[in-house]
Amino acid sequence: MEVKTSFLPVWVVMFPMLMTFVIYYVEQHSEKMRNALSVATAVVTFLSVVALYPEIVAGNIIEYRMFQLLPNLEISFRVDILSFSLAVLSSFVWMLVAVYSVDYMCKEHGCNRYYPVLIITLASCMGIFMAGDLFTLFVFFEAMSLISYVLVVHEETVDALKAGYKYLIMTIIGGLALFFGIIITFEVAGTVSLSGPTLFGEPTALGFFAFISFLIGFGMKAGMFPLHVWLPDAHPVAPSPASALLSGIMLKTGAYGLLRVIFHVFGIELMRESGWTLILAVIAVITILLGSAVAITQEDLKRRLAYSSIGQMGYILLGMAILTERALIGNIFHIFSHAFMKSTLFLAAGAIILKTGKRNIKDLGGIGRQMPFTMFAFTLAALAMIGIPPFNGFLSKWTLALGAMDAGVPFYVIILLVSSLLNGLYYLPIIIAAFFGAEHGHEHEPIKVNEAPYKMLIPIAILAVSCLLFGLLPTNLPFDLSRVAADFLLRGGF
Amino acid sequence: MSAAAHLPALTVVVPLFFAYLMPLLARWRKSWCAATTLAVLAFTFFSSLYLANRVMSSGPFVYHMGGWAPPWGIEFYVDYLAVFTALTISGIGLPVIVYGIKDLPHELKEGVLGWYYTLYLLLMASMLGMALTNDLFNLFVFVEICAIASCAIISIKESRECVEAAFKYLVLSAVGSGCLLLAIALIYMVTGHLNFTFLAATLPGVMAVYPKNILAALALLMVGLGVKAALFPLHVWLPDAHSSAPSPSSAVLSGLVIKIYAVAMIKLLYKVFPATFAGMAPVMAMLLWMSTLAIIIGSMFAIVQEDIKKMLAYSSIAQIGYVFLGVGLASHNALLGGILHIFNHAMMKAMLFLAAGAFIYATGVRKLSQLKGIGVTMPVPAGAFAIGAMAMVGIPVTNGFWSKWYLALGALDAGKPLFAAVVLVSSLLNGIYYLPIIVNAFFSKPEGAVAKPGRLPAVMTGTLVVLGAGCIIFGIFPSLVLGLVSRATRLLLGL
Repeated sequence: MEVKTSFLPVWVVMFPMLMTFVIYYVEQHSEKMRNALSVATAVVTFLSVVALYPEIVAGNIIEYRMFQLLPNLEISFRVDILSFSLAVLSSFVWMLVAVYSVDYMCKEHGCNRYYPVLIITLASCMGIFMAGDLFTLFVFFEAMSLISYVLVVHEETVDALKAGYKYLIMTIIGGLALFFGIIITFEVAGTVSLSGPTLFGEPTALGFFAFISFLIGFGMKAGMFPLHVWLPDAHPVAPSPASALLSGIMLKTGAYGLLRVIFHVFGIELMRESGWTLILAVIAVITILLGSAVAITQEDLKRRLAYSSIGQMGYILLGMAILTERALIGNIFHIFSHAFMKSTLFLAAGAIILKTGKRNIKDLGGIGRQMPFTMFAFTLAALAMIGIPPFNGFLSKWTLALGAMDAGVPFYVIILLVSSLLNGLYYLPIIIAAFFGAEHGHEHEPIKVNEAPYKMLIPIAILAVSCLLFGLLPTNLPFDLSRVAADFLLRGGF
Repeated sequence: MSAAAHLPALTVVVPLFFAYLMPLLARWRKSWCAATTLAVLAFTFFSSLYLANRVMSSGPFVYHMGGWAPPWGIEFYVDYLAVFTALTISGIGLPVIVYGIKDLPHELKEGVLGWYYTLYLLLMASMLGMALTNDLFNLFVFVEICAIASCAIISIKESRECVEAAFKYLVLSAVGSGCLLLAIALIYMVTGHLNFTFLAATLPGVMAVYPKNILAALALLMVGLGVKAALFPLHVWLPDAHSSAPSPSSAVLSGLVIKIYAVAMIKLLYKVFPATFAGMAPVMAMLLWMSTLAIIIGSMFAIVQEDIKKMLAYSSIAQIGYVFLGVGLASHNALLGGILHIFNHAMMKAMLFLAAGAFIYATGVRKLSQLKGIGVTMPVPAGAFAIGAMAMVGIPVTNGFWSKWYLALGALDAGKPLFAAVVLVSSLLNGIYYLPIIVNAFFSKPEGAVAKPGRLPAVMTGTLVVLGAGCIIFGIFPSLVLGLVSRATRLLLGL
């Protein structure tokens, strides 16, 4: 393992950022060009991330120092196996969502705002994953959070603006907490670089403040209880492709930040001996149960999906709280799984909303016969959510449960099971009604197949099939990445 | 001696001289007034730049007025803080008046335009004088000039509320001046000196003999400068004064004038008094708590405001609290953050006031609730406002972030993490009142006057663009100013 310098991480971040301006310029003249450029940008970004693969898989770390702002404070990039995993996942989903957007958004207003924002959020998201120090991470984190506000309020309805306001205030609170954490770290360690040894030596009161600040800052983004309040409002009101990204990818930046904090800022020994993980564990359990339980009561399809996201993020937090190797593998793998599942679900919901305008679960009877393909994808992802083998959701829960057993806490396994049951309770009725029910008042009318355009169906199909494949394949790339990443983190992460 | 050697004096005297020339010029060649003012301010800017360069390369130096050495003559002490302040004043004063060239004829009556330039130059000259002077009585003279000029520059609009606000300001500011004069008398009585350097040398000895005298003087100085700097709870005059004045005046008053008194206080506390009052009176602790209250209460008042300029004025009360917070914490990073914030806040608040002025210029709307959709119809001013608001909240890559960074770091250095939390809470409060404005501006349908704004002159738009770019540039490259500020701080703290 060695540390190499390469410009590629900077390129991955800067390319979409620069393309944003190009797209902004082009869209004044041609809508077609705008759409094509947006998709092309996402594809090139994905390929650029993939180009990092040979180095990463050889166990190397890629670094690039951009410039120094102040002594010990710089903009730098650093790609290790964890950064790579998340970057490749995000850019992949982003690419599919960009393709999906082309048809979904064509009747929407404000597309000239939507596409540049979509691409610049991709850039900031890449920046978060490839940041080489906490400061860079913070800058991109704030950029992503604030810019994605535009995606949240895209519809400009009263509801959207209200949800957006909540989102904005929570983002500011999270950003400030993060700022506080970073400043304490800087004060104590004199640097915020993630490439050196852990920044805190021992559990001090100041360190605890920093931990809580980080927990608030990143946890807010990850939809952690009790800071999740913005999420069920903000995710459903956004246009569906944006919801898919918000729920599928952007939530994960919070989880990613927490992983970095746990392993690079505090270090695993400190986390274990200080017992701070207990806080995380309690919060994770509450988050899981609350998210799943409240999801049952939701009538709006997208709102139900949003609450489900909260529950699922709880799994990821739980993995961090347990901190055994297998729990960690499960944790990272669940980041993958949930990204695939939730994006599928939101995109499928988007297809339904586009074709039928129905958002309420009660109205979805018979939708499976009208849109069989979409609902089939929805079903795959929903089954994965419940954790039925051989889907990827099963694999992540299985690994997490094994991790919990390693730690000697079977209680967590029970939590996982209960939550699976709850997931079943709110996903299965949708599926059953969709395929075997009928639309209220139209029981005897024949239902015509009326699917969304294929440019929307293909991304949905790819994501849904991924849910199946990454639970089934013997050489499971995400799982391997998770395993290597977990191993890498547990060895100290540098 | 070459002319360059006299630059410290010329920086103050040239605007002073042209200030008196301006009414004459207004009668004779009206169109020359603006150009002359611009030229004078450009001169002060470049001479400040020259002085800064000289100080950075060869260290602080003194300049004796008319060649008379103290204790007889007036002394200017050109050190890092002085040139930093001078640069801030002329650097912000220049774009503001560029904006004013188009805005002022719109806001003022025909006959008083020439007088406005007089007042503006007087204001600039007095502030530059306060920045450079090393003499207590000279400071007082400049304080008085500044106070009168500020009053006049508020009331020049001659509307009822302006006159009322100016009167309120005049009364309170006169009380402040009285306190200052008394303090100076008390100090002069026991030390026999007015020069800062001599005072710093004699005060420790005198302290032992006349402790009450010195403490009373200190208290009076704090109150006098506190009133003028609008330090909570002495801020009551500010919201009316700053919101009713013409927009360029508001920008200068909020951006620069209240800061210059903070600079004066920094000079006095760190250069004149440091050794003597330690242990006698908890001045720093008082400053800390007053600034904390200023920050929190100023922001809270700002939240409930309906008028955009009034909101900005209340926000200034909170922001001046940041400066004093840095002064009160007295650790290197905190003081650095406080001084840095003088510059940063000057830039963002000037821009915010000018952006608000642009809204008012084009639409006549001052009410926040009626400014919905302004970002759609006036993207540049609203964009500048958005950048300013982001800087106020302290989002990274804006200059406001670095003030917060150093203040918070300084609070931790000083072992008082509570005040780091204060900075953060206040940022949140800033977010609560600034962000809805931006959101409404960009994501609402414009109605009424906002839907069809008048054309904004290119000069005004250009000024906003320059200031907005400044906020970003100094956010990405904070080291541009930090070299100077850090040296100023080190000199003040004797590190």
